[in-house]
Amino acid sequence: MDPITFSIIRHRLFRVVDEAVITLKHVSGSAITNEGHDLMVSLYRADGSLLMGGVGFLHHLTSAAEACKAIIRRFKGQINEGDVYLLNDPYTAALHTSDIYLVAPIHHEGRLVYDIGAMNPGGFSPDSQDIYTEGISSPGLKLVDRGELRQDVLDTLLNMVRNPEMVTLDIRSMIACNNVAADRMLALIRKYGHPTVDEACATLIEQSETLLRARLAELPDGQWQSRQYMDVKGETAKVCLTMTKKGDTLTFDFTGSSPQSRYALNCTRWASLGGLFAPLFPLLCYDITWNEGVIRPITMIAPEGSIVNCTRPAPVSVATVGAIQSVNNAACATIGKMLAASEKYRKEATTVWHANHFAIFMFGRNQRGGQSIGILTETFAGAGGARTFADGVDVGGEIPNPISRMANVETMESIFPLRYLFRRRLTDSGGPGRYRGGLGMEIAITPHDAPDGGLHYVVSGKGAKYSMSEGLGGGYPGAPNRYVWVHNDETGERNADPSFALSLEDMPGRTEDISWGVFPLMGKDALYVAWNGGGGFGDPLERDPEQVQVDVESRFVTREAARSVYGVVTDAGGIVDLAATKRLRAEMRGARMERRAAE
Amino acid sequence: MSRPIAANLEIRSTGKGDHIACRSCGHALAPAGQPWKRHAILRELSMNGAGGKAYTGAREAILRQFGCPGCGALLDSEMALPGEPFLDDIVRA
Repeated sequence: MDPITFSIIRHRLFRVVDEAVITLKHVSGSAITNEGHDLMVSLYRADGSLLMGGVGFLHHLTSAAEACKAIIRRFKGQINEGDVYLLNDPYTAALHTSDIYLVAPIHHEGRLVYDIGAMNPGGFSPDSQDIYTEGISSPGLKLVDRGELRQDVLDTLLNMVRNPEMVTLDIRSMIACNNVAADRMLALIRKYGHPTVDEACATLIEQSETLLRARLAELPDGQWQSRQYMDVKGETAKVCLTMTKKGDTLTFDFTGSSPQSRYALNCTRWASLGGLFAPLFPLLCYDITWNEGVIRPITMIAPEGSIVNCTRPAPVSVATVGAIQSVNNAACATIGKMLAASEKYRKEATTVWHANHFAIFMFGRNQRGGQSIGILTETFAGAGGARTFADGVDVGGEIPNPISRMANVETMESIFPLRYLFRRRLTDSGGPGRYRGGLGMEIAITPHDAPDGGLHYVVSGKGAKYSMSEGLGGGYPGAPNRYVWVHNDETGERNADPSFALSLEDMPGRTEDISWGVFPLMGKDALYVAWNGGGGFGDPLERDPEQVQVDVESRFVTREAARSVYGVVTDAGGIVDLAATKRLRAEMRGARMERRAAE
Repeated sequence: MSRPIAANLEIRSTGKGDHIACRSCGHALAPAGQPWKRHAILRELSMNGAGGKAYTGAREAILRQFGCPGCGALLDSEMALPGEPFLDDIVRA
């Protein structure tokens, strides 16, 4: 078709998605949407295939396509203009039950709601041992009929959640978002005519497929492997990936991954597919429209009954920060290795970014007497992975959601009755390497002005035992996460006020490492959370000593790590001793030579 | 003739065929298209404290470092539980 018209329609489709996202954020009142940007809006073809993937959590792009197809199948012959359908069943398409997909005949989108009535508040339910205790789960129902909201359906949903006001706002924001997208699409069709728009959409999908296949053909054939460990309550599960590139195709094979877990970090097949595409879209298709054409050259093998393709009724509510994230990490690692094997694309390679979300949902009576349920949005404040030419960006976000961010401290303190003792970059958390992984963070919070003396929180934190952000080319993985409950039991000498503590070591009270379940934050208790840095790239002994000095001066790296990991000697004033550094590095390389051969 | 296949590895063509070699010193590790890690020097260290004070919780995992027998250059690393097979990356063309 006429290339000018094609380009105009293509850009208009981008803008339709953008306007819909703005509407969603304006109507929703939740920090996770407005601040964290935990949402996704996309356009799909009449058969449910992905047409224009929007920004937001990219795990949803393929899952929401499956949601569209499921709605088309279920309501065949009954789909009318003005309808909106709701689907959140993980065994049909959603990632977990708190991901509500609202599907309308013209466009489709999905996002997280605050609470879904599961065993634990907030949508992530670490205590659940099956899908039946993870809240409402619908394989598809009609929420809006010919433009009229079905109040009976909405009331039924709200009757089963802990925070109906916020859930109402969440759902209405999605309906508004759908309406705006529909209006803009209709305007586009009125201007250019349906045949022209339809032809442009079909061409767009063909173009994406052609471009991705051409890119894959430029990359070397081969196989690359990755492995992720997840720890929950003393049990370790693993996700294994062998990615094979042949010609213009890619196959992701998860054979060898653990059997499905009794804990809720499992994910379904659709969720795994979303997990591997989340890094693939931005790393291999940064200049290609994200749609069905990108999906066609990709094959996934996920053994049934495994942690990456669980069978009903396995629990999945923690999937997005559990197996899905590990699938995402493993795919990111193998794609990074493949890119590093290409002279042309070497500079596009990256180590694993923010590899370990911690879903901490706070809940309880707030300082205004109402109920608050919500996530600590710091979970979105991931660390950038090192590149082949530069350090990772400290607190640089994450690849699966390029626009996510954390809320201001003041926002969180206004939502919950708590106070931040500190929030800052975490020393030594970035994976060492010639180029260092970006730093993660550490925070400490304590109750403040809480009518009930505090509140509680749900934590679904795997990754306290294992680093999850892999390095590349010899670079170390980033640091693991840590979750510490600081007990101050109001009695005896431990009854000290943590208000002015500047570090975990400064805090009075007994510390207890935790990671999974529901815990109190009452009285003078504190919660300390530290999270992973990005993976490093290359040999730490090749890092510019002056850059290590800057790291030490900036408190990004300790003097001890500068010496023991980077082989850089600094004097008492923190200045690099180049001669001593050269000697130490030569000794460290020599020591490597004395080790036994790997076989 | 040489062609990079990883951050620190390349394929070198010699009279005896194509080999995977260290990019720093040219030491030949394995025939092209084959796993190479078992021909490297292996150093294993506990992940606990491996990268500094933030690495305090990783007590069971180990960091495997694969070094060049020729020059000691660090070729690759991977985290693993003891007994796990190596992650084998193979570039075929």
